[in-house]
Amino acid sequence: MANAAIATGAPSRPVKYRSMSHNRRWAMRWSYFFLILFVVFFLTPPLYMLITSLKSSSEISAATNPWWVYKPTLSNYEELLGQNQYLIFFRNSALVSVCVVIITMVISVTAAFALARMKFWGSATLATGVFLTYLVPDTLLFIPLFKMFAFVRDTTGIELMNHWWTLIIIYPTLTVPFCTWIMIGYFASIPKELDEAALIDGASWMQTLTKIFIPVAIPGIIAATIFAFTVSWAQFLYPLAFTTSTDQLVLPVGIVTTLIKGDVFNWGQIMTGALLGAAPPLIIYAFLMDYYIAGLTAGATKG
Amino acid sequence: MADIAAPTATAAAGNRRSSLHKLVQRKSTIAFLMALPLILLIAILIVYPAGYAVYLAMLSKSMTKFVGLGTFEFILKRQVFWDVVYQSCLFAISAVIFKAIIGFIVAHLVHNIPLKGQRKWRGMLLVPWVIPPAMSTLAWLWLFDPSYSAFNWILAHFGIGAIPWTGEAGWARFCVILVNIWAGAPFFMIMYLAALKSVPEQLHEAAAIDGASWLQRIWYVNLPMMRNIIAITALFSLIVTFANFDIVRVLTAGGPLNATHIFGTWSFKVGIESGDIPQGAAVSLFMAPILAIAAAFILRDISRRGSEV
Amino acid sequence: MGFKKVSRRRFVGGTAALSSAMVAAPFVRGAYAAGKISVGFWDHWVPNANGATEKLIKEWGEKEKVEVQIDFITSQGNKLLLTTAAEAQAKSGHDILAMNTFLPARYADQLVPLNAEMEKLIADNGKVNETVEYLGKIGGKWLVIPATVGSQIKGPCSRIDYMKEYAKIDVQKMYPAGAEPQDKDWTLDTFMKAAEACHKGGHPFGIGLGTTSDCVDTIGAVFHAFGAVMVNAKGEIVVKNDQVRQALDFYKKLIAFLPEDVPAWDDASNNKFLVSGQASMIMNPPSAWAVAKRDAPKVAEQLWTHPFPAGPKGRFAPFLPFFWGIWNFSKNVPAAKSLLMYLSQASSVEKMVVASGGYDLPSFENLTKFKIWAEAEPPKGTLFSYPDPYHTQILSIAAAPAPHKIAEQIYNLGLQTQMAVRYFKGEALEKTLDWAANELEGYMRN
Repeated sequence: MANAAIATGAPSRPVKYRSMSHNRRWAMRWSYFFLILFVVFFLTPPLYMLITSLKSSSEISAATNPWWVYKPTLSNYEELLGQNQYLIFFRNSALVSVCVVIITMVISVTAAFALARMKFWGSATLATGVFLTYLVPDTLLFIPLFKMFAFVRDTTGIELMNHWWTLIIIYPTLTVPFCTWIMIGYFASIPKELDEAALIDGASWMQTLTKIFIPVAIPGIIAATIFAFTVSWAQFLYPLAFTTSTDQLVLPVGIVTTLIKGDVFNWGQIMTGALLGAAPPLIIYAFLMDYYIAGLTAGATKG
Repeated sequence: MADIAAPTATAAAGNRRSSLHKLVQRKSTIAFLMALPLILLIAILIVYPAGYAVYLAMLSKSMTKFVGLGTFEFILKRQVFWDVVYQSCLFAISAVIFKAIIGFIVAHLVHNIPLKGQRKWRGMLLVPWVIPPAMSTLAWLWLFDPSYSAFNWILAHFGIGAIPWTGEAGWARFCVILVNIWAGAPFFMIMYLAALKSVPEQLHEAAAIDGASWLQRIWYVNLPMMRNIIAITALFSLIVTFANFDIVRVLTAGGPLNATHIFGTWSFKVGIESGDIPQGAAVSLFMAPILAIAAAFILRDISRRGSEV
Repeated sequence: MGFKKVSRRRFVGGTAALSSAMVAAPFVRGAYAAGKISVGFWDHWVPNANGATEKLIKEWGEKEKVEVQIDFITSQGNKLLLTTAAEAQAKSGHDILAMNTFLPARYADQLVPLNAEMEKLIADNGKVNETVEYLGKIGGKWLVIPATVGSQIKGPCSRIDYMKEYAKIDVQKMYPAGAEPQDKDWTLDTFMKAAEACHKGGHPFGIGLGTTSDCVDTIGAVFHAFGAVMVNAKGEIVVKNDQVRQALDFYKKLIAFLPEDVPAWDDASNNKFLVSGQASMIMNPPSAWAVAKRDAPKVAEQLWTHPFPAGPKGRFAPFLPFFWGIWNFSKNVPAAKSLLMYLSQASSVEKMVVASGGYDLPSFENLTKFKIWAEAEPPKGTLFSYPDPYHTQILSIAAAPAPHKIAEQIYNLGLQTQMAVRYFKGEALEKTLDWAANELEGYMRN
């Protein structure tokens, strides 16, 4: 059955043989059938979030049919959006993510250009080393970071603990390596003649980057941007470790720590919060997915 | 070298050697400056704390005296640690294999349907990857809940007794891996789909005319063309899965009986929750040699890319 | 208002006299006037219980002209623990932080001693139980003040109807509201028979066997009831003894009557099991009842909180105390001390207890007689026995009397529940004990 599903690779082309077109119709049907199965698997949890978010807590406690809402209510949404707290989480998340994306892109695009097009002592090692930073897990780093924060405070008086903006400094460690890596790949795929011509015309390296490379590499840049945004929106451990006060929390940690009350799970509100927290990246993907896929794969397949 | 040669050819007139030298030097200086933020970021926020963690791992529990490799020695004697090693490998390898298989199949399915419908399907299939894992795992947690499990509710309708989803070691491992597959498979799907699209159509037609079966066409045409991307995606995912923290943390917190602890969560448990920071750091550090094996493969790939520059 | 003024002056005077240790910062208003202080308190599980604490702190802040930043930090997912560890490592953060169980001992050298304050409070409010002393007084010094908020006895919360129907036990008669308990027969044997009967009736007891505090506290009390000690006060491993074997045998038998997935339960699972109407009994403070009252009133009407069954060595109940400690890096220790004294006076304590619907249990003896416990309903008197008004129970904590560093690991890693589950799953008893001994050796690391 699966054989038929993957039988032909040329969906949009006219097919020459009768038997083949017959096969193809069946292949298509099977494809849809299996796609539906996978979509059900992939969408069950978010759908269940939506269902639960529309229930009152007494309906949840009553343990009726979990897959159906008997008395739909928007009270969870009203309560959550009416709370100042939740809006603050949202603002913090948005600010952190936007700043991180900007910092990430500035650092990784310039560095990727230098590494892909200009050479200096150790540049090849660095290009490799960038990716290796992912081998250092964040569970290892957060304790030394506490100590470093203490050092910073003692020497400069700047308190880094329990401030959302500290995350802006920390998150790039998670986003920059991968983005640089994508951009190196993307830049490497741009023909050398382009920058050679620019340089002959007397452009500086910086001009070559901003006037020639960046415009050409827009899909790659968009892909890297979305990646950086998703990663910083979703990060869990660092904000869990570094922020405590409710006005400093970002969304994922805020939902997990303020809505879950040990003994008492406000499942309706938790699911509402989670759903609203997942919304921004979902919306961004809905609009920019095509760029993302094009850029990501061009960067990654090259080489 | 070509890119350097070109500008010099026009610029250099008389003092050829020294100006060439100067230019190279200037170019490398600029390049270094452009890469400097990256270097600083990695040095200050990754390399230095990582080194510091190595130092921490060599302290005694109360962090007052230096014990060298004592902590590592201690850990290697603990049964729990070896359980964690086994579980981490089981978790990462099985999750990555299934993610790759599902990604591969789904990519082919999407590729197989008419182009204009693909966008919609792709969008729906990408959803799990876009939701922050800490959030989506909450939904799973609620689906697996001992008292209110929506899955058990369905099973009850088919006359099947309740499954202790996160309550029994085997099921709990299954759940953790399942959620990881769910969250990670779309990424593979997207990468493979893109790779599929870059397989030239003529190859398929030629193979079809030669009488190749569907399996042969996948095996001899698609697979070789996608090899590279399959390898990179799998390795990247292996690293991320191996170092996972949030899914296990939210779903089972390592239980029952430590049966789902992996490196990240176990190091958190001993380091933070039990107040033995050096041991926590040492447990995390054990990830390095295992990941280094994966890294060796990646290195090969990337250095090939680097040499092309 | 007048009362508050007097009480404030009284304690100000008292503390000033006692704080001779801090000559540099005599306790007078103005020493910290217009200062700032930040507190990290436990985020209460009972809906809206944080409000009373917040109000009290604001009152104090206005009076003393101190700006207070309050954070309520959940203990779910060990966020509070993580915060404590983070602040200890970074040497910065809140001035006052709520800590439970073994944390005061863990961070002993980073906390400001509060001997004078505790002496004063004990004089005013009565003495504290041994568990509080074991956990809060380290090396002869009080390092923390027992907090009202969050401290709790985790006794049984039973379903009146199921217990009557299946186990033939009338919990209301056994522990009547407003009268002496009739609990001679309420022993671990009776308990086991009831567990079996309720299991047969399709409404088992909901006792978790995970590694979170509810699960560990329950098994800890059962171990104490058998006199089962794994590590003694000197720090010697004595796990291979008959009392431990008895306790494990008891648990092995009990687990067969519990829901199948109890090894994965956390602190919320038993509550959900009760609120969903499935449980005959859980071991929990009245937060489950409070939630039932809101979401499932029919269930709440059938709930009755009462003391633990007695074992061969006595009637032990798990007590989970929360403390308030002051970091030694605090920039405003006098203000922090003043706030803690304000929150610990009887009138403040009562407000907090009321706001928590009776959940919070002050550690001081004279503060266990507020009206709220007798009045809470439905059903009338459901919480009467919760604060142990007749002092029939020995309030205990799992792993005591082992030295703190070891006890903490036994507690946090849930060693006892792990042993019980291993033994239940068919491991030979001696093998389980060997395994436990090996684990305990690991905890000796320092």
